[in-house]
Amino acid sequence: MNYRLVFRLLGRLLMMEGALMCPSLLVAFLHHGGDAPAFIFTIALTLVCGALPGFLLHPKRDDLTARDGMAVAGLSWLLLSFFGALPFVFSGAIPHLHDALFESVSGFTTTGSTILRDIEGLPRGILFWRSFTHWIGGMGVLVFTLAVLPRLSGRTAHLARAESPGPTFSKLLPKMGDTAKMLYALYFALSLAECACLLLAGMNVYDALIHTFGTAGTGGFSNYNLSVAAFHSPLIEWIIACFMLLFGINFAIYFHALRREGGPILHSEEMWAYLGLVLLATGAITATILPRYPDFFTALRYGFFQTASVISTTGFSTTDFNIWPLFARCMLLLVMCTGACAGSTAGGFKISRVLLLVKSAYRDLEHTLLPRKVSVVRFEGKSVPESTLTQLGVYLFIYLCLFLAGGILLSFDAGDLTTSFTASLTCLSNVGPGLGQVGPAENFAFFSPVSKLILSLLMLAGRLEIYPVLILFSPTVWKKN
Amino acid sequence: MRILVIGGGKMGASLAQSLINEGHDVTVIDRSDTVIQRSQDTMDAMFIKGSGVSVDTLREADAPHADIVIAATMGDEINMLSCLTAKRLGAQYAIARIRDPEYLSALPFLQKELSIDYAINPERATAREISRMLRFPYAGTVETFARGRVEMADFRAAEDDPVVGVPLREMYKKNKHLPQVLFCAVERGDEIIIPKGDFVIKAGDRVHVVSDVKTITQFFEALNKGASAIKSVMIMGGGRIGYYLANMLLGMKIKVSLIEINPERARRLSELLPGATIIQGDGTDQELLESEGLSDVHAFVPLSGRDEENLMAGFYAVQRGVKKVIVKSNRENYSALMHNMGLDSIISTKAVACNSILRTVRTRASRSTATVERMYRLMDGKAEALEFIADPGAPYTHVPLKNLNVHKDALIAVIVRDGQVQVPFGNDTIEAGDHVVAISRRTGISELGQIVHR
Repeated sequence: MNYRLVFRLLGRLLMMEGALMCPSLLVAFLHHGGDAPAFIFTIALTLVCGALPGFLLHPKRDDLTARDGMAVAGLSWLLLSFFGALPFVFSGAIPHLHDALFESVSGFTTTGSTILRDIEGLPRGILFWRSFTHWIGGMGVLVFTLAVLPRLSGRTAHLARAESPGPTFSKLLPKMGDTAKMLYALYFALSLAECACLLLAGMNVYDALIHTFGTAGTGGFSNYNLSVAAFHSPLIEWIIACFMLLFGINFAIYFHALRREGGPILHSEEMWAYLGLVLLATGAITATILPRYPDFFTALRYGFFQTASVISTTGFSTTDFNIWPLFARCMLLLVMCTGACAGSTAGGFKISRVLLLVKSAYRDLEHTLLPRKVSVVRFEGKSVPESTLTQLGVYLFIYLCLFLAGGILLSFDAGDLTTSFTASLTCLSNVGPGLGQVGPAENFAFFSPVSKLILSLLMLAGRLEIYPVLILFSPTVWKKN
Repeated sequence: MRILVIGGGKMGASLAQSLINEGHDVTVIDRSDTVIQRSQDTMDAMFIKGSGVSVDTLREADAPHADIVIAATMGDEINMLSCLTAKRLGAQYAIARIRDPEYLSALPFLQKELSIDYAINPERATAREISRMLRFPYAGTVETFARGRVEMADFRAAEDDPVVGVPLREMYKKNKHLPQVLFCAVERGDEIIIPKGDFVIKAGDRVHVVSDVKTITQFFEALNKGASAIKSVMIMGGGRIGYYLANMLLGMKIKVSLIEINPERARRLSELLPGATIIQGDGTDQELLESEGLSDVHAFVPLSGRDEENLMAGFYAVQRGVKKVIVKSNRENYSALMHNMGLDSIISTKAVACNSILRTVRTRASRSTATVERMYRLMDGKAEALEFIADPGAPYTHVPLKNLNVHKDALIAVIVRDGQVQVPFGNDTIEAGDHVVAISRRTGISELGQIVHR
């Protein structure tokens, strides 16, 4: 590992985080919640800790290997989560470090699982920061850094690739810095649109911002115990549901729309599969829960909102789907497994991976019937290299291993199988609520400190798509080169 | 500028990297997944898998909005067709690599019909470069500026050279007989230095000097490096470069013997080059070289397809006392090592082609402002020698140089006014229309104002 360069990069990232805490400090000042000192102290600490390696270390070489890039991604998310947890601890809002860390990781990874029993009692600056981490984590800190500090290092593609979700990472514009700027511009514009809609629907500015952050990052933290249900407004529910779906679509689609290129949008198999799945799940769920609600539109609203929330891995809720019929819960579990599109802010396994696996499974089945037939797997009009398919199989295997390991380790604390395995799945997919004791009306507070750390690791692994977190455990990475 | 490079092989990749370093938006099209996967880790460009002749791929790569399309695949026909298609789709300027000698005579016609704006034949350009180096045997490389009036040449300082051990500002006081040239850049180890007055040249440094043609020639004669003209050349390897070079040298009435290992190719060469002595045999065989008179020729040029063979043969020829040895090697990263072992003239087809394409790109990029007339890269691009024409009304004109701020990593080497070459001193000024040659360690300079300001 090129230690000097890696630590310099990490230092710069920490300084960036310090700067990103300033809006929360402003909110804390405006609302006099007594949490301003915690922010001042954290910002000072973060800036100092970042400035020391960020300015004093001068790397001898500025080449970043693919391995180093991944390590930077893994380490930076660990560091960000740690420093992001400090305001919770210093303000006394979440006194234990392991709880604060869980909350911070859940924020940055846009999971939205919480250990808080009473959210509404927290100071408003703290709640703002908790949701703002969603917004930062959604598009990614490294991508943000690339957008504002373009000449960080010559070889920055690794960083973006390690952080951006999906089996492959494709640039929108030739320069990495320009691509990062374009992604953030789209992200910002969509967020602004949602915020405006929510304001028009009657939310106050603070609530609108909090819920925009939660939706844009596909996170799911709300400042109400009842989540979005607290507003008792069907209009707000429809707006948030639609934007959750929009943030689950690959941002390249919006880029093409902006450039008026219809072809790539029409041929985006992933987007159509995603929308089709949403339609299917919504239909099935609505039909199943119809008897429980007074009319069709109410059932449709609840069915659509929960589906959009889970498939986009956001995790807002308007009702306790824990008490729904089993089939409806199974449909939600299904979309929890798939997640949304690659290149979006959503987590999960990603629709494109599912599609590729389905196609390659079909091809291999066909191969047993027609052993001499040569066929390639095509995806979105292009043939897929065999190496990508192999990597995909391995990724699926590791993903399942983590899911199982998480479920088994959590069984010490959880009361039943549903709880332990859905808790593991919901964290790995960055959704938020699970079923059983971790359902949308419950929280994660009852887990032991060890389980909370395991869940935090699962969330990080899910957000960074496993490898950047996993390789930190390999001694090869830490060898000096 | 938006530049589309078709073909991400050795030349395409090297070009793309240079263009990225100069701040252009580069998109690379290549057919191979492995090439793309390897390159996208190290290069900040957009990569598109596909063929440069496919309209869909070109559209995906946004060829309709490209300012320059450079086709550098292995196939001439693919390059020509890609350029034609890209131009028809709306690209502004097309550069194609066309290397087959069969197309050579019809090139102007082809260029016009296929709307290729600039065709580069790397082998022919390399051969031309070698023939120029043979005409100026005293220097490692010779570059010309201001339509050939100014030359920049480099040599390796030896222990007993009068320039060694003297601070530059006292150079001409100590050596009264030495013609006055400007010492513009010095390579020492891996570093390139723009020397100031108190700089002292050490033995082993590669020194670049610049002046008008006559003074440079006199300077090298005074240093005793101005050997008599080269009359006989032995070429190893009868590939395309070998053929072009032999043809050029024969035209200059220089005796050529050419060693080619493949009997059929040797026969064909003897048909094509009636004036040359074609020898069929292995050029790495020392006995063969000796029996064909290696020790008697004035210059030896190994041009085989393998860098290692060329280097070994080159070292052997240096050891046998051949006056001038020019080696073809595509491995630029070893050039410092080779200099240390006595091989001063190394030429790479890739670098020659890249340089001339970069020069074209630069000229287009800076058309609206003061122009870069010529550009050479020194030491694998660590420094650049640039020729500008001073802009009328630019802030740096009419001001004595001592009152101007010259960038600390740059140096104004010569000013050419009305055909008169002068090495500038503090009281001299730059006037509109002057040709100004500058050396800069900062790369990517596109106008004189970036180096000199008030």
